[in-house]
Amino acid sequence: MSSSDSSSSSSVDDPNPNPKPLDNQFESLNLEQESESTIIQNDDGEGQQDQESSLNGSLNVNRNNHEQDDRIDGGHVTSVLWRRTNSEVEVDGPSSPSSSGYAGERGSSGASEDDEIHEVANHGVIDGVFDSQAAWLPGKRHVDEDDASISWRKRKKHFFILSHSGKPIYSRYGDEHKLAGFSATLQAIISFVENGYMDELGDRIKLVRAGKHQVVFLVKGPIYLVCISCTEEPYESLRGQLELIYGQMILILTKAVNRCFEKNPKFDMTPLLGGTDVVFSSLIHSFSWNPATFLHAYTCLPLAYGTRQAAGAILQDVADSGVLFAILMCKHKVVSLVGAQKASLHPDDMLLLSNFIMSSESFRTSESFSPICLPRYNPVAFLYAYVHYLDVDTYLMLLTTSSDAFYHLKDCRIRIETVLLKSNVLSEVQRSMLDGGMHVEDLPGDLLPRSGSASHLGQHQQPTDSPGRFREPFVGIGGPAGLWHFIYRSIYLDQYVSSEFSAPINSPRQQKRLYRAYQKLYASMHDKGNGPHKTQFRRDENYVLLCWVTPDFELYTAFDPLADKGLAIKTCNRVCQWVKDVENEIFLLGASPFSW
Amino acid sequence: MGLTSANSGGSEGMQLCIFDLRRGQQEGQELDKILFFFPADLPFSNQLSVIGLSEGLITFTRIFSPEAACEVIEAERHSHVFYEAEPDIWMVMVVEKSKEAEAIWRVGALRAVLKEIHSLFMMFHGSVREMLEKEPSGGQIRAHLYPFVMDYLSACQNRSPLDYCCWDFLVGKKIQLPSFRDCLKECGTVQMLTVGREAAIEVQSLARVLESGAGATTPCYSLILFQDLLVSTTLSPDDTINLFAYAVQRLTPRALSSGVSSWSYLRRGNTPDLVAGLTFATVSVSEQLHHLHAPSPSQDNSNHVKRPLQHNRWSKEKDGFLVTDIWGREMGSLIPATPTIWLRQTGERMYLCAYQYKSLTLILLVPLSSILNGEQGVSLVKKQVLENASLKTLKVEEKLSKGWGGENAYHVSGYRYLLIDDDRNVSRASPPVKVTTLAKESLLAMSKLREEVDLEKSRAKWDSADHDKDLEICIRAKNNAWVVARTTRGKELYMVLEKADETLLYASDAIERFSNRVPLLASSRAVALGGLPIRVIVNEILSRQIPSIAIM
Repeated sequence: MSSSDSSSSSSVDDPNPNPKPLDNQFESLNLEQESESTIIQNDDGEGQQDQESSLNGSLNVNRNNHEQDDRIDGGHVTSVLWRRTNSEVEVDGPSSPSSSGYAGERGSSGASEDDEIHEVANHGVIDGVFDSQAAWLPGKRHVDEDDASISWRKRKKHFFILSHSGKPIYSRYGDEHKLAGFSATLQAIISFVENGYMDELGDRIKLVRAGKHQVVFLVKGPIYLVCISCTEEPYESLRGQLELIYGQMILILTKAVNRCFEKNPKFDMTPLLGGTDVVFSSLIHSFSWNPATFLHAYTCLPLAYGTRQAAGAILQDVADSGVLFAILMCKHKVVSLVGAQKASLHPDDMLLLSNFIMSSESFRTSESFSPICLPRYNPVAFLYAYVHYLDVDTYLMLLTTSSDAFYHLKDCRIRIETVLLKSNVLSEVQRSMLDGGMHVEDLPGDLLPRSGSASHLGQHQQPTDSPGRFREPFVGIGGPAGLWHFIYRSIYLDQYVSSEFSAPINSPRQQKRLYRAYQKLYASMHDKGNGPHKTQFRRDENYVLLCWVTPDFELYTAFDPLADKGLAIKTCNRVCQWVKDVENEIFLLGASPFSW
Repeated sequence: MGLTSANSGGSEGMQLCIFDLRRGQQEGQELDKILFFFPADLPFSNQLSVIGLSEGLITFTRIFSPEAACEVIEAERHSHVFYEAEPDIWMVMVVEKSKEAEAIWRVGALRAVLKEIHSLFMMFHGSVREMLEKEPSGGQIRAHLYPFVMDYLSACQNRSPLDYCCWDFLVGKKIQLPSFRDCLKECGTVQMLTVGREAAIEVQSLARVLESGAGATTPCYSLILFQDLLVSTTLSPDDTINLFAYAVQRLTPRALSSGVSSWSYLRRGNTPDLVAGLTFATVSVSEQLHHLHAPSPSQDNSNHVKRPLQHNRWSKEKDGFLVTDIWGREMGSLIPATPTIWLRQTGERMYLCAYQYKSLTLILLVPLSSILNGEQGVSLVKKQVLENASLKTLKVEEKLSKGWGGENAYHVSGYRYLLIDDDRNVSRASPPVKVTTLAKESLLAMSKLREEVDLEKSRAKWDSADHDKDLEICIRAKNNAWVVARTTRGKELYMVLEKADETLLYASDAIERFSNRVPLLASSRAVALGGLPIRVIVNEILSRQIPSIAIM
């Protein structure tokens, strides 16, 4: 029947579907949209005949005639709305599968959104959070503020999304509606520069610096993103964060939103993103602890080679049956990952996807089937994600191009879960979570022969199963030669491994500071104009940082500021050797190489 | 008045404006804000756009950063560099970026240019605000700023390899601003001659003779240069920097001789076929516009405006004194009036007397207040200087010439370096001819690294707790050059090593060796002399100027 159906069914054979048919679907929307807007059965009863309500209208169409409606991109945009305006439905029943990825569901009227968000925040969901930063609460805070509040002005890091007409879409702090004036100012600055105040060519504003503050701008078609920060992060990092925020938005809506702006420049996007505050706030939080946000690589949960192989094998089985990507993750770490033939997953997409899932409470409570878009994979098309938590931290994601694959994926999940349980993968995963990753204290000595499999990542201590073990602070003073911490990124694998924090990097504050130092080092090494550099040694009052970039890997290390240069260099070499020795455990090997 | 220099400057790629936020706040009066705009032939609507954007962002950034408003706007094609010269008096420079044209800028270097323009303006004309208060229509300040900044921008082209300061901005049709190629230079600093202890004592006594010879009751000040390098000063640091910059530009033997050639070059450059006539303002147009800006009611200000930065207006008299007619002539005589300047620190107005013997330039500043009978009194002072100091001058010149290592005296083979003493605004660098041997990649990497250090420094300034940040960064760039920055207690060292070994340890050793063996920066000594506290900066060979940060 519809072109979409044919494309999604063909995707069983062709795991890397051509985006073109989907593109064509977008074309068809514009033709049909108007007629749709006449069939309004508005849920929220407001009945405004604007773009938004037309989408809501088609949403109802979508619900009633689910199968036919899939071929228009309105179907894609609206299905987002649809799952948001529907309350959760248990999917075991025979009715068509429902999905909901949102904790703060609120429909499009938005009358009581703040309260709902508060409620979510009060739940105190702690996911996607570094163990040591468990105090962080997701969701939006300080909604009562606006640009007139002193407290608002003093926030260290603001993020804004607005439309090219100046309408606020998202603000990290404060109520978007109250920030309409401020948002218009940002828009005015951007368009003033764009409209050629200097010459007819026009220009694009990137950065404004004032004292400790930086204002970073990113223009993505009709969407403007702005960060105002006094955090000392380099421009490149802040810009990268705006790119990720944009990507997160695309993951929820696809680039099809651009069409809405083409039709109506004053289109109000806030309802489309209703309830997603938690997703953005959790992403923004990850900008201060998750190295994946600037390394553009993912990290794996350390596991014995055989265990990961077992997990990979069953995922591969599933992938062969028409699943585009099968991903098993534990918090933000990958247990195993399989892509259908030729399909490859960008680490940024993984970051955004896992953030989306971990930050949305409802994914935890029921199995879900949700349209998502992978911005790096194909920013204009929705994929469908089947998500199921296997235990409190471990979740399975099965991505497909087919909107009616729910039952098939459910079957797949049951198969996978059975195998994982049988082969003890899940218990191994939990065990690894307790054991933690690489500790600098365990860095093997210079000439000692190493046996990677003898102990967990070469830990010399008697392994204890006491869950409290890794929570107690190490009395240690870091590794040899004043080594405090390291991150190793394999370029070929697109993966990184980061050592566990140990003394004296104990408090969240110290960890954040080290994270920021790495971020700065990364930006300095990867200078756009004439980078990447090969080596960098940097000593300030806090650390000695050593960075080494080769075609194969990048190593970032942090030492005591009094560390000896020569010894530090030797230690770096030992770290590289150590990583190579245990690479079977810490990396996912044999995953399809990434094509960019 | 011929604004000839305006023509040799291309408008392409660069704009410079000075505006007053307190003016023109009512609709329809926006033009009133503009005190200076280059290029003057840019339509007013465009000028107002640039200023409007700047003003808008100053206001906007104050929402979040009330203590420091907008410093820079980076757009894809342009950079806007801001400098608040005086409260609400802003200078903004807009430069075009272009990889091909090597237009890659370091914001700090561009801001230093703005700062220098303003400091020199203050030295000769006093503050912008004061002049505006005296004559609120703004005509007078515009009439002063326009030729002043234009003369600054069109500074002479011929520079000796000794000229470390980034000064010459007009080469051919293009304004040459400090780009990444100038990353081993520091504008707004003084370059000093290293002298032995014995010579230092001679210099001190010469300074003493100079200042006492003036016979004034209020203190006089002196500045002594050898070639383009400072030997001694009794001025405050700010005043030293300004006067040194001026001397190197207009007074030293090299400045006097190169002026001639640069003059002839500019003359040629003004012929229409050399200057792309369509893009540049002709004299008359730019002047017309300029007068539109400055509707001076009755008097024609421009006739009375002194242009101290004008080229080739200084010459050496037979008696060794340097004279200029920039300050006009004595009533009814042919004797040029003695130049006067304002001291930043004391607010005093001083006569400027410059005397030259071979490579030695002596500058004596005598308070106006101490000389009652004007030019007559000044010539008396000059006479006394000749009588008292000639012999000493001779001796000092001889001594310094003997010890002088030539243009490449401060070259250290294998190293390309820049050393800055922030506390005293002194810098020393590899000779420019040597720096040009570096690969473009190395220079780009160094420029970028300096930008990074600039940011760290400015952050430290706002955190104020640890003002002197100890920082050491060694980068091995893509082209295998080592690019090094080290800041320790107000001293900064930047270094490029192109032929170093590939290990970090080797590079570190090379830096240590450099710190150990090179006579680095001067030390300052306060010398009390005859009841008058005279601050003399004397160069000494110091064995180890940059203390290495403790390594285990």
